[in-house]
Amino acid sequence: MDAFVQYTLQGLAAGGFYALAALGLAVIFGALNVVNFAHGAFYMLGAVLTAVLLDVAGIGFWWSLLIVPVVLFGFGILVERVLVRWLLGFDNLYTFLLTFGISLVLVDIIKLRYGVSGLPYEQPAGLGGLLSIGPIQLPVYQLFVFVFSVAVCAGVWLLLAKTRVGMIVRAATEEPDRARALGINVSRWVTPVFGFGVALASLAGVLAAPFRAITATMGSNFIIILFAIVVIGGLGSILGAVVAGFLVGLVEAYGQGYASTFSQILIFILMAVVILVRPAGLFGRRESV
Amino acid sequence: MSATSRIAPPRGGLDAFPAPSRATTIRRIVWLAIALVAVLALPWFVYPPVAMDIAAWALFAMSVDLLLGYGGLLSFGHAAFWGSSAYFTGWIASHLGLPFPLAILLGAVAAMVLAVPIGLLSVRRSGIYFAMVTLAFAQMIYFVANQASVVTGGENGLQGVPKTFFGIEAIETESFYFYYAAIPIIIFGAFACWRIVHSPFGRVLSGIRDNPARVRALGYDVERYKLIAFVLSAGIAGLAGGVFAISHGFVSLQEVDWTTSGKVVLMTVLGGMGTLWGGAIGAAIIVLLEDYLSSAGFDGIGIITGAIFIVCVLLFRKGVWGTVAGLVERIRGRLPARRRPDPDDGIDAPDSVTATDTPHDESQSEAPR
Amino acid sequence: MTRKSSSLVVGGITAAALVLTGCAGGPPAPDGSALSDGKVTIGILNDQSGVYRDLSGPNTRVAVDMAIADYREKYGDEAVATEIEVITSDHQNKPDVANTQAQQMYDRRGADIILDVPTSSAALAVAEVAAAKERLFINVTAATMELTGASCNPYTFHWAYNTEMLAKGAAGVVEDGGESWAIVYPDYAFGQGMNASFTAAVEAAGGEVLESIATPFPNDNFSTFITRAAAQDPDVIGIMAAGGDLINFVKQYNQAGMQESTTLAVGLMFITDIHSLGVDQFSGTTFTDAWYWNYDEQNREFADRFTQLTDTRPTFAHAGNYSAALQYLEAIQRAGTDDADAVIAELEGAELNDLFLRNGVVRSDHSVIHDSYVARVKAADDVEEPWDYEAIIATIPAEDAFSDVNPNCSM
Repeated sequence: MDAFVQYTLQGLAAGGFYALAALGLAVIFGALNVVNFAHGAFYMLGAVLTAVLLDVAGIGFWWSLLIVPVVLFGFGILVERVLVRWLLGFDNLYTFLLTFGISLVLVDIIKLRYGVSGLPYEQPAGLGGLLSIGPIQLPVYQLFVFVFSVAVCAGVWLLLAKTRVGMIVRAATEEPDRARALGINVSRWVTPVFGFGVALASLAGVLAAPFRAITATMGSNFIIILFAIVVIGGLGSILGAVVAGFLVGLVEAYGQGYASTFSQILIFILMAVVILVRPAGLFGRRESV
Repeated sequence: MSATSRIAPPRGGLDAFPAPSRATTIRRIVWLAIALVAVLALPWFVYPPVAMDIAAWALFAMSVDLLLGYGGLLSFGHAAFWGSSAYFTGWIASHLGLPFPLAILLGAVAAMVLAVPIGLLSVRRSGIYFAMVTLAFAQMIYFVANQASVVTGGENGLQGVPKTFFGIEAIETESFYFYYAAIPIIIFGAFACWRIVHSPFGRVLSGIRDNPARVRALGYDVERYKLIAFVLSAGIAGLAGGVFAISHGFVSLQEVDWTTSGKVVLMTVLGGMGTLWGGAIGAAIIVLLEDYLSSAGFDGIGIITGAIFIVCVLLFRKGVWGTVAGLVERIRGRLPARRRPDPDDGIDAPDSVTATDTPHDESQSEAPR
Repeated sequence: MTRKSSSLVVGGITAAALVLTGCAGGPPAPDGSALSDGKVTIGILNDQSGVYRDLSGPNTRVAVDMAIADYREKYGDEAVATEIEVITSDHQNKPDVANTQAQQMYDRRGADIILDVPTSSAALAVAEVAAAKERLFINVTAATMELTGASCNPYTFHWAYNTEMLAKGAAGVVEDGGESWAIVYPDYAFGQGMNASFTAAVEAAGGEVLESIATPFPNDNFSTFITRAAAQDPDVIGIMAAGGDLINFVKQYNQAGMQESTTLAVGLMFITDIHSLGVDQFSGTTFTDAWYWNYDEQNREFADRFTQLTDTRPTFAHAGNYSAALQYLEAIQRAGTDDADAVIAELEGAELNDLFLRNGVVRSDHSVIHDSYVARVKAADDVEEPWDYEAIIATIPAEDAFSDVNPNCSM
């Protein structure tokens, strides 16, 4: 039983991280109808930038949590302005392919510049050690990642649900035609939303820096798990991405605990079951065929 | 294709899918003859194992184009079929000692069998969802292949696959002669693609790509058509994967890795979606480029291929084939007076951005939009 | 007829492009003399762009050039190999690329020998090409026992290390008081082999393996596995992952505060791993090393020369490639020819000594055994200069460092 509780906690902690990473994917898809294949590469850039900031400028973890998303927000805007926007009027397979190409280039540039064996990163002060509750032990950092991710997810939800900007973006996302009819300049919001999604990806990268290997290819397998998450949750659905993120985190943790070698296959089995029962995903609207 | 006969013939609206005229047929034959000569001459100009790679990847790209260009379905997990056939082919060739063409055929059948459950689930989604779902399932196959090391050799790969061919030593040991023994399989696969595309089945498929609701209204079972196309495409990818496995003499996890799926999509788009032969051009460019860069001492292969790909998606969505053919047509002053909808552009895109038009095959240009 | 004409032009352009890209096709030319074209060509085939770039990669060429310089200096005008050329190729860690590149190196670029080749699947693929082309292949950077086991062949040598050798250091850890072990290994061929080797080594030394935990590969999240291993309360946790997964594991291991209570033993680690993650993350970790740059004067001198050319310290893979190239040239010198079979005859059974091979012997299964070392990663405070990360706590004599001749190998 202790073990079960332990796995559950670890699954939730991992799930929060997944939810945060998948959130940006969902936001970008929602607003731009773009499935951002380069999301894993932006996540990687976030982690690499965090390590470089520490190495070159001595900027620590807490400042990175602020600086890195801002920088990547700017980079995201650049990518949207220079590349993505030319294809927004087309079938979204084109932007999918475009972002695939972008990820190839970004990964190899980082590889050339920073090598492949990874960059060092220190444990942020005050977040080391273990938290013990009876027989259950959880690294403090995992708890931090969980709390931080949940806070960001909640913040993004509040932003979209309660603010005027959020309502405009949601309207532009969910019913672009009607929003246009109401005089909302939909395209004006497209660029900042893309930047925002990229910033969220990089934020996940900052969080990953202390507990994952920081390499050029760290996002390459990650993006596929994120795809599975948004397919399970229903593309475009922000709530779906968050719930599916937690679900996948739990499935992975139980898998690792009880059937270790199958834990990654389990994620895809879960995805297959969801597609079988609800083709549009748990919270997805049914797409037109 | 026997599969098509099971599907109800079009009721009404058949005029949307006219049979090719005699002139078209002759042109096709001439064109096929040219392609055949090019294929047969290839190992005289290119190092034979590389020539074999080009041929295998070309067929693989065609199988992807069959779905993408003609069915509007982007499979980002086709390595699952290429790779599983490669494993099957390799295992059969090493353990049963069958001549390699037979092993490859059995491998392709295995890929088709695998494609049935994956296809059943995947065709429930379309567009971008289809791409992501196929990618995820292919990743699942990767993990399975990694685990099943008794059969696949896991990380070490399946080594020592023989090129058994009725004891003819030249073919079994020399890659130059092997090319000529294996190329009929590639040609058979390419011919199958071509037949599928130009069959009534292929035209229904194009119809589904352009206007699924209309095709459904005409009484076709859309999902069944998609599934059959998926399985056929998997079989053709399987043929290519089998040839690749025999040619290299081993099979590794690389064959089922998602980057392999990415590479073949890259080739298809680079060559030109919805052109079939474009895939072959894309394959030749990428394979030769990688071969050159491998020994040129440049580390960032992805920067070059990725940048070419980005430019291609942004500016030349018809790919090398479509763009060059369009340019030639323009230079010759034969631009059609009226801009026609563009069926060679696989996925639905406005015409306005690209400056050139692609030559049309009459049978397709009339397909419903 | 627009389609036909435009197609013709496209086809023509394609054909022209193909012609331009390389006129290297055609049927195989009949073999002439067994002697290769008046020069010795050494091919380096390794990962110049992927995960193994830093530990061998482009700098392997520097090490090989150093071996050539040493050979020339030693023999001067007496040198049999008067002209020596080095060619390199990137296999991108893809066995199919390795296979094609190896064929090209032997066939088209005149390689007499191929060196290095990390990644087991790629190494095995190249070994088959070597056997088919009847040219030499000295593998340095792959770990698989298969090269000198069921897949062995007369033209393939395995120079630096293998999975069983890596496990021998475990005995030293057991004698040091680390008697109970939990082993975490990635569930694929390399990890399974490492798990078996380590379990055998620990038990042979009188220790006990409490649990072996398989993990998926690749894997980012090890927290549950660390919890499971810690639940056994072992003295030592052995981790058999390599590369990025190893770094993931160690970061999460330290985050869980395990460093205080347990010793970490790493199956396969290169000095570049320590460098990239930071020495404090690895402090106290033990592992088996094939060679260490700061072990003695001789190594140090080599390392200084290497550093002048590369700005980095050599890994054991670099030193191993140096040694392989040097001993190959020495064998040519003894044989008086670069004919593959004559060179192999000189190498087989030879007792070799250089800065990498201490008490080296080329065994009948073509595994090259030599002294190896039990290393412990220094505490951050003890590091005196960059890359000064290891303390060598024991030397394992060659015959103990490697297992007996592999019975699965028949040539």
